[in-house]
Amino acid sequence: MDVQQKLTILADSAKYDAACTSSGAQRSGGRGMGNTVMAGCCHSFSEDGRCISLLKVLMTNHCVYDCKYCVNRRSNDVPRAAFTPEELAELTIQFYRRNYIEGLFLSSGVFRSPDYTTEQMIATLELLRRKYNFWGYIHAKAIPNTSQDLIYKLGLLADRISVNIEFPSEQSLNLLAPNKSRKAILAPMGQITQGIKSGTRDLALYRNAPRFASAGQSTQMIIGASPESDYHIIKLSAGLYDKYQLKRVFYSAYIPKVQDALLPAAGGEPPLLREHRLYQADWLLRKYGFAPDEILSEETPNFNPFMDPKCNWAVNNMQLFPIDVNTAPKAQLLRVPGIGPTSAARIVTARRTGRLSTDDLKRMGVVLKRARYFIAAKDQPTGYKYTKEGVIRSLIDPSVFSFGTEQLSLFTPSKPAIGASSVIEAAEEAILCLKATI
Amino acid sequence: MSKSNNLAQAADVLYVYDGSLAGFYSCVFHSIYSKTLPVDICPEEALQPSLYPAIYIATEQDKAERVRRSIPQKIAAEALPLVETVFLSCLEHKELHLLEFLLMGYAQGARVLKMLGDPLVSKIYAAQQHLLGEKQLLLGFIRFSDYGGALAAVITPKNFVLPFLAGHFISRLSGENFLIFDKTHKAALVYQDRTAEIIPIETLELPEASNEECEYRAMWKSFYKTISIQARYNPKCRRTHMPKRYWENMTEFN
Repeated sequence: MDVQQKLTILADSAKYDAACTSSGAQRSGGRGMGNTVMAGCCHSFSEDGRCISLLKVLMTNHCVYDCKYCVNRRSNDVPRAAFTPEELAELTIQFYRRNYIEGLFLSSGVFRSPDYTTEQMIATLELLRRKYNFWGYIHAKAIPNTSQDLIYKLGLLADRISVNIEFPSEQSLNLLAPNKSRKAILAPMGQITQGIKSGTRDLALYRNAPRFASAGQSTQMIIGASPESDYHIIKLSAGLYDKYQLKRVFYSAYIPKVQDALLPAAGGEPPLLREHRLYQADWLLRKYGFAPDEILSEETPNFNPFMDPKCNWAVNNMQLFPIDVNTAPKAQLLRVPGIGPTSAARIVTARRTGRLSTDDLKRMGVVLKRARYFIAAKDQPTGYKYTKEGVIRSLIDPSVFSFGTEQLSLFTPSKPAIGASSVIEAAEEAILCLKATI
Repeated sequence: MSKSNNLAQAADVLYVYDGSLAGFYSCVFHSIYSKTLPVDICPEEALQPSLYPAIYIATEQDKAERVRRSIPQKIAAEALPLVETVFLSCLEHKELHLLEFLLMGYAQGARVLKMLGDPLVSKIYAAQQHLLGEKQLLLGFIRFSDYGGALAAVITPKNFVLPFLAGHFISRLSGENFLIFDKTHKAALVYQDRTAEIIPIETLELPEASNEECEYRAMWKSFYKTISIQARYNPKCRRTHMPKRYWENMTEFN
């Protein structure tokens, strides 16, 4: 089998991994080939609109495990292949020189044993770092049940390491991934957290201390294959950010490909709208100072499909608004729907030169479509006059309907799908429904 | 109009200059010392027949240098890179807007940089953002081909981004020889034997791609196709992140 065929098989079986970011590490070049930039860099976007930053492949898609949801499970009849470390290192270098990629994302099926598989991955990374003197970005997957010293070695070679938590709860994990245990996943995650911490500490003491996964750790979980609520999931993420200092948690909408009584029927749509809402909530946790209990609660455990979580929070807390852009602290500006970290920073800068009007805000690039209902400015000292229906019409997230109306039923599994034949009808129904609840 | 006009009276004249940064600074010098604000400032290459009388402003290095030094002194240190970045942008009438911005800066001092809601200042920042945004995309979207060991790429940007791309690629590919040809602005960044320069160049003839080069292109194309998930097909999202005008120079679309 030639490298081209291997690449096709091993990219095809790696593509369901969500993470492709190359962020978190700043390293200048000059020593050999390559550098990394803090913000990461997207090199292309595939037809599904996802960023292609890294050469995302598996070392091999042979696997001794039989996880029910996974395309690479032992019992699935698919073509199998394995890269040799030499082939993969050479391919990475040639793609990198041509600026196709920012580096390598290396995961693997479990071939023979977790340790053997990880040794193959380490061999590849050692070739890249030592023989080719390659200093571009490397993201490596830690395979559960790998011995500690191999995980440590992997972390010294990679910029980022991740262990997939796979499912939002232990019950689902036991049911759908019988060969992996919660403990086997959390053990390397904890080890990596410790490794990163002591690496940073050593670096403060000795300039040449080895760098362990300097771009940090991430994880991902599959959404929609198991019954956990959105509230459960964001509580879990908040816990992971807190306890393991993860850089990112990725959510991957389950794509039903397998027929199994324990899983959603094969051929169904992946819950993309729900995944979208989870990412929005995730940003609120990481960048906007929200606590999970402000976003959802035991009483309302799932997202409002029609509004993004920040709008939803704002319309349920109208008593806090309008806030005056000329005086409000930055943390409060960040709570306004439509104002993000960039806009908030610009407002704080510009208001030192004089009181700001809504026209000033527009020229500064603040998008007022949603924000106008929540702010007061020089020309609108008591805020914008609005009707309930007007607010809802502007706040309703247009992307809801581009995901297709059938997705809306995912949010209320007990009720049948919203009985709408067209997108416009669905929107009108949603507006009526929201007006009643606010 | 902004508060710049107390330094210069609007006059029905057109400045023509050689298109260089020093030439532009010479125009600023002339405007201030003659107390006139021209209707426009045009590089001689792009000069169109006009109703207004044109004055040719000769480039004078010492005057240009005085203007350049005055920017950090009289406005703010951050104003200089802002002005010199926007000078390379594709903002229409950028020379006139920059002149107005400088006059405003001389009058207002450092606070001009914080007046983000001002019509003129916001335009200047938007032009800078446009250039830096295009540069950021190109850091990823540039595609090199290997021609006998040397790498070559073609770009067609709206802004003159080559000076902003140089550092990144020199650091990244420090051991290689490479060339990036900007077809729009007819210039190339040439990096050879560890030294880099930007030179004017009309056209670039590239040799036939070798077999090996074709193989890597084919592998990249098949990777690109394979990595997309059918059940998530979303061409609109792809276009938002990667506007179609970049596709013409990208291996995966050729």
